[in-house]
Amino acid sequence: MRKRIIIRTALVAALILIGIFLYVIGKEHKVVIDNRDISVGDIIYNASTTYVVWVDNQEIGVIKKGERKIAKVAGVSHKIVVEEIKDNVLTGERYEKRFKLKTNESAMVNIPALINNANEWIDKTK
Amino acid sequence: MMKKIENIIENFGLPRIIIFLFLVLLFILTPFVGVRFDTSINDVIVRFGMNGILVLSLVPMVKSGCGLNFGLQLGIIAGLLGAVISIEMETIGFAGFFTAVGIAIFFAVVFGFLYSLLLNKVKGDEMVVATYVGFSSVSFMCIMWLMLPFKSPNMIWAYGGSGLRTTINIKGYWFHVLTDFLKIKIGNYIFFPTGTILFFALLTFLVWAFFKTKIGAAMIVVGSNTNYAKSCGINVEKMRSISVILSTVIAAIGIIVYQEGFGFIQLYTAPLFMAFPAVAALLLGGATVGKASIKNVIIGVFLFQSILTMTPSVVSNIIKSDMSETIRIILSNGMIVYALTRITRVRT
Amino acid sequence: MRKQSLTKTMNPGVLFLINYAVPIIFIILIAFAIPLSGLSGIYFIRELMIRLSRNSFLILALLIPVMAGMGMNFSIVLGAMAGEIGLIFITDWQIIGISGMLLAILISTPIAVLLGYFAGIVLNRAKGREMVTGFMLAFFMNGIYQLFVLFGMGNIIPISNSSILLPRGYGIRNTINLLGIRQVLDNLIPLKIGDILTPVATFLVIATLCVFITWFRKTKLGQDMRTVGQDNEVARVSGINVERIRVLSIVISTVLACYGQILFLQNIGTMNTYQSHEQVGVFAIAALLVGGASVAKANIPNVFIGVILFHTMFVVAPRAGKALMGQAQLGEYFRVFVSYGVIAFSLALYAWRKRVEKENERKKIMNYKKSILVK
Repeated sequence: MRKRIIIRTALVAALILIGIFLYVIGKEHKVVIDNRDISVGDIIYNASTTYVVWVDNQEIGVIKKGERKIAKVAGVSHKIVVEEIKDNVLTGERYEKRFKLKTNESAMVNIPALINNANEWIDKTK
Repeated sequence: MMKKIENIIENFGLPRIIIFLFLVLLFILTPFVGVRFDTSINDVIVRFGMNGILVLSLVPMVKSGCGLNFGLQLGIIAGLLGAVISIEMETIGFAGFFTAVGIAIFFAVVFGFLYSLLLNKVKGDEMVVATYVGFSSVSFMCIMWLMLPFKSPNMIWAYGGSGLRTTINIKGYWFHVLTDFLKIKIGNYIFFPTGTILFFALLTFLVWAFFKTKIGAAMIVVGSNTNYAKSCGINVEKMRSISVILSTVIAAIGIIVYQEGFGFIQLYTAPLFMAFPAVAALLLGGATVGKASIKNVIIGVFLFQSILTMTPSVVSNIIKSDMSETIRIILSNGMIVYALTRITRVRT
Repeated sequence: MRKQSLTKTMNPGVLFLINYAVPIIFIILIAFAIPLSGLSGIYFIRELMIRLSRNSFLILALLIPVMAGMGMNFSIVLGAMAGEIGLIFITDWQIIGISGMLLAILISTPIAVLLGYFAGIVLNRAKGREMVTGFMLAFFMNGIYQLFVLFGMGNIIPISNSSILLPRGYGIRNTINLLGIRQVLDNLIPLKIGDILTPVATFLVIATLCVFITWFRKTKLGQDMRTVGQDNEVARVSGINVERIRVLSIVISTVLACYGQILFLQNIGTMNTYQSHEQVGVFAIAALLVGGASVAKANIPNVFIGVILFHTMFVVAPRAGKALMGQAQLGEYFRVFVSYGVIAFSLALYAWRKRVEKENERKKIMNYKKSILVK
C-alpha cells in the first residue's frame, strides 16, 4: 500500500516536472528587431544599410533602415544572425549573437548596436 | 418526523425540491432586484398557456409504455405544415387558426401512423431511435422548406428567392387570436390570456376523458404490463400506435398554439431541440420514464416556465450578465439526465 | 410475425445485406453523388487524407465502450471539451509548437479523466438506456462547460491574455486562433508525395492507437470488458466488477477523445470555442455506423471505412446539391440529414434485430419446453 502511494506521488511529480519543462521550452516570446539609430550613453550608432535577419534559423526578413520587424520564438536559448545587404546582394558581412530569455521576458534588439558589439544591443523586458 | 420528511424528499426527488425552493427564492427576490412581480407572474401564465399543450402531448406515449417522446419533432413538423399552408391560403383570425389546426391534424395522423409503425418494431429502444428519427426529419424538412412550391410573398425569401424564410411573421394573420380572446385586463400591466388557458383546459379535459374510456384504459394497461395486456386480449401494437398518433396530433396542435402566442413560425433548424424542454418540463412535474399524468404536466410546465422566466431577469440584475441561456441548458438537460438515471422497473 | 423470417433466412447473401445495410446504401448514394459534384480525383485524395488524419483518432475512441457493451458513447463530447479547455490554457500562456500541444494534452488529461469518471457513473445508473442518457449528458455538460468558459474564465479563473477574452472582460471569445500549434503534429515529419504534404506523424500516432487497441483487446482488462459487453450477469458471476469496468471503459474513451479533439483542432488551426465539440459526437458516431459497425460490434476497419465513406459524402454533398437543385445550401442540409438519418436507421435496424433475436430465443425455449412436455 505504502509502495503504491510512493509510486503514484513520484509519477505525479514527474508529470508536473514535464509540464513545467514543456511550459518553459514552449513559451512564446516576442523579439522586436529595430534597424534604427540608437544612442548609448554618449555614442550614437547609425543605421546605414539594409539587413536580412534570421532568428533560430528561421528567416524573419529584410529590414531596411528605419524599419522594424517582430520575431516570435519559443524557449530559452536563441540565436540571431544578421547579414548585410547592399543593392539586393549579400555583402558577406555577417553577425551572430546568442541570447537567453527567461519565461516571461520579451526582447528588443537593435541592429546598429549589435553590429558594433555594444553591450546594449538587446533590451529585455518582462 | 424526520422519517416523514425523508419520505417526502425521496418521493419528490431532491432535485425537484431544490428547484422548487430556488423558485420561491427567486420570487421573493423580485422586488429587491428591480423586477416587477406582477409582470413576472403574467409572463409565467402566458408562457404556461403557450407551452402547456406540447408537454401534454407527451402523456399518451408515456402511459402506453413508449417512453418519453423524443421524436416530438414529428408532431411539430405536422403543425408547422398546417401553419404554413394556412398562411399560404391567406386565412386570418380564428378561421386561420383553425385551418392551421385542421391541416396539422391531418398531417399529424399520417406522420404519427408511420412513426408508430417504426416504434412498434423497436420496442424497448424507442427513446433513442425516436431522438434520431426526430432529428433526421427536421433536417429532411429543412430541405423541403427550401423546395416546396410556396408562393405567399409573406413567406418566401425576398428578391425572388425560392423557398421559405427561416422565420415567418404571423402578425395580421392569427397572431394572438387565442390570447386576446376574452382577455381580462387587470391593472395596467397584466392581462389574463383567457383564450389560451381555456383552450389548454379544453385539451386537458379531452385527454383526461380519453383515458377514462375503454381504449384509454387499455392503453394504460399496455403501459404497465405488456404481458398482462396481451392475456386480456388487448392488441398491444394497436394501442401503442393509437397513443403515438394521439401524441403527435396533440403536439401538432401544441406548436400552433405556441406560434400563436409567440408571433412567429420558426422553420428549418429551430424545431431540432424542441423536444427537450418539453420532456424536461414533464419530468420536472414529477413524471418518470414509465409514468406520467396530467398533474405532472401542469406542475411541470408551471415550474419550468417560471424558472425560465424568472432566472434571467433576476440573475441578470444581480450578476449583471446574461446567464439565462446557459442556465436553461443546464436545467432542462440536467433534469432529463436525472430522470433517466432513476431506476424504473423492467418492462417486458 | 412475418418479419421474423427475414433473420431466420440462412441465405448468407441476405444476411450480409442486412448486416451491412448502412454502408451499402451509403456506397450507392455516393456513387450517384460523386459524378454530380464534378470534383477531381486529386482533390478527393487530398481531402480524404486530411480528413482521415484529422478524424480517425476521435472515432477510434468510440471502440472501447462498444466493447464493454455501452453502445455508441456520447461522452466523447466530454473528452472534446476537456481537450478544448487545455487548448484555451496554452493559448492563454502562449505556448507554441509541439510543446504547446503536449502541454495541452498534459493539462486536459486529468480533466478528461474526471469528466469520464462522472459520465461513467451516470451511465451506470441508467443501464439499458446508455445511449439516450449519454446524449443528454453531453448537452448537460455543454451547459457546465459554458458556465466554466463563458463566465468563469477571466473571472474566477485567471486569464492573462486578453486577446482571447470577450470585450466585456471575462469569458472566452467565440473563435480562438491556434496559430501557435497549427499543424504542428502534421508537419513534424514532413513528407511530400507529389504535390501533397502528408501528415506522417499524425498517421503514426493513429497507427499507434490502433496497435494499442488491438493489444488492449487481448489483455485481461480487455477480455473482462468484452465479457461485460456480452453479458453482464455472466461477467458478474465470474467475479468481474461490472460497474468498475464500465466506468473504466468510458474513462479511457473520454481521454482518447480528448486527445483526438486536440489532434483535430491542431489540424484546423482555429477553435470554435462553443461549437467545435457539438457535432463531434454525432459525426463520429455516424461515421462509425456508416463503416459497418453496430451498437454491439465495432472494429478498426469500421473506423477507417466509415471515415472514408462518410467524409466523401461530406465533401460531395454541397456540390451535388448545387448541381442537382441549384442551391448549395441544400447540400449542407442534406449532409446533416444523412448524418442523423444514418444513425436513426442503424439504431432502428439494430433494435429491430435485437428484438427479433430475443423473440427467436424465446420461441426456441418454449418449443424445447413443449417438446419435453410432449415426451
